[in-house]
Amino acid sequence: MGASPFSSARFLRVILAAIPATALTVAIPLVNRVEPRIFGAPFLLGWIAIWVLLTPAFLWAIGRLERHW
Amino acid sequence: MTRATVALSIVAVVVLGTIGFALFGVRRIKMDPSQYIVGGRSFGTLFLWVLMAGEIYTTFTFLGIAGLSYSQGAPAYYILAYGTAAYIIAYFLTPAIWRVGKEHGLLTGPDFFEVRYGSRALALGVAVLQFLMIVPYVSLQLSGLQILLRIAGYGVYDATVSVCIGFIVLALFVYGAGLRGTAWASVVKDVFVLGAVIFAGIAIPIRFFGSPTAMFDHVLAKHPQMLVLPPGGAFHGTVWYVSTVLLTSLGFFMGPQTFNAVFSARSEDTLRRNAMLLPFYQCFLILMLFAGFASALIVPGLKGTAVDQSFLLVVQHFYPSWVLGLIAAAGALAALIPASALILAGASVITKNVAGDIFGFATDDAARTLLTRVLVVVVAVLALLVWLVAQKTVVEMLLLYYNGITQFFPGVAATFLWRRATALGVGAGIATGLAVAIPLAALNETPWGINPGFIGLIANVGVLALVSLASQRRSVIPGVEPK
Repeated sequence: MGASPFSSARFLRVILAAIPATALTVAIPLVNRVEPRIFGAPFLLGWIAIWVLLTPAFLWAIGRLERHW
Repeated sequence: MTRATVALSIVAVVVLGTIGFALFGVRRIKMDPSQYIVGGRSFGTLFLWVLMAGEIYTTFTFLGIAGLSYSQGAPAYYILAYGTAAYIIAYFLTPAIWRVGKEHGLLTGPDFFEVRYGSRALALGVAVLQFLMIVPYVSLQLSGLQILLRIAGYGVYDATVSVCIGFIVLALFVYGAGLRGTAWASVVKDVFVLGAVIFAGIAIPIRFFGSPTAMFDHVLAKHPQMLVLPPGGAFHGTVWYVSTVLLTSLGFFMGPQTFNAVFSARSEDTLRRNAMLLPFYQCFLILMLFAGFASALIVPGLKGTAVDQSFLLVVQHFYPSWVLGLIAAAGALAALIPASALILAGASVITKNVAGDIFGFATDDAARTLLTRVLVVVVAVLALLVWLVAQKTVVEMLLLYYNGITQFFPGVAATFLWRRATALGVGAGIATGLAVAIPLAALNETPWGINPGFIGLIANVGVLALVSLASQRRSVIPGVEPK
């Protein structure tokens, strides 16, 4: 990569990885409810499912930033 | 033909057909240790994805998720999250591990510890622990297989003998086909499992409730607390959820079988693409939650380990025998294919890191391949014996797997993140982590609602840091830096 540890590109990658990771872990107590339902599923389950589906998009973006694809 | 004959015949045909297909896939491959254990480091994105999905999603996925959502409800959601969180870590970690493996021609997880910390003793310790973790994990798959065959036999048939025969056949298959054989078999397994999961999660709710949405309405009406987590430090509450997802996602790629799969990749980018694509497989697990919730409404009242049979009982009661046969066949593959990767990993660790590196035995290519093959059968028989004579011990030994596997993570991560880490520090950290986590888990203690393995992990990191700072620095191999 050649980026220094404190460069903005590296910072952006860390943020991009941290967003879905946070949403799936430490954010869970904040979304622990049934309403509003998401496509019929309880909110908590819908929230987790949406972030599972979004994670590939975040990893794809990181790969683009690192010029792997 | 009776319905049991129909269902069991389908299972037998599918399992044997899968093995035949995989043997056909490897018919022209000449085996040396690198080919046999890590597929010659040649797997592309799709093949690796199939292999990883094949060995990650076990009978636990198939029976356990439905069972956990059946009996507990929302705590089962953690399974969706931890795999996905693990793939985020894998995006960064697995290419770095692969690069070390490529440069040094590594075959096993303990090899990684040896080259990074320059310590054969540490590698031996890791090898022995990983081996001890694998045996009960294989036994667990056998229990899953037995449940499936019993249900497919409509309860009139004790499956123990069939489990033994099936497993010996599997061991002979691995003897011949190695990791590439497991990957080919995973192709068939993934197709069957995905089909079964879609059936369980969509067809069952539609038939009984009209739609998955209506099913959730029923669950809410009957068990209003089931769809959210208990608060805070309560049993299986939010604190447990967060600590468990963190613990299990960090440990996700630490199994000896996953090291083999990582080394089998063709390139670093193969692993990055693989990490990006694996969450899509994770989505299908949502459907197994649906199956568990549906079963809780259709066949309520199961207790103890019987909850793992919940959705299979629904299929058995309400669907024709050929449907049950296909579902049970998918489940049987979900037990056998991961088991094949596990026994191969266990055998390769003993061949390379114990027999070869410690006793200087079977170090040339031909002897090493042969010894690994023989040990595949030995490990399989050992797991089978443990399963047959000591079911209770299996449960206790599994604590070692679930709480222990993550304890390897600090040592692996430190080689990329903190170069002061020493072999002594890593070894002391692993020992401390296990010494803290396993008694807590055995006593069912969860201080403040936190998963005991997570407390062990924190102790592990603390001891690793302190002992490393206090012990003489052993420089890690230069030139393999993380990006």
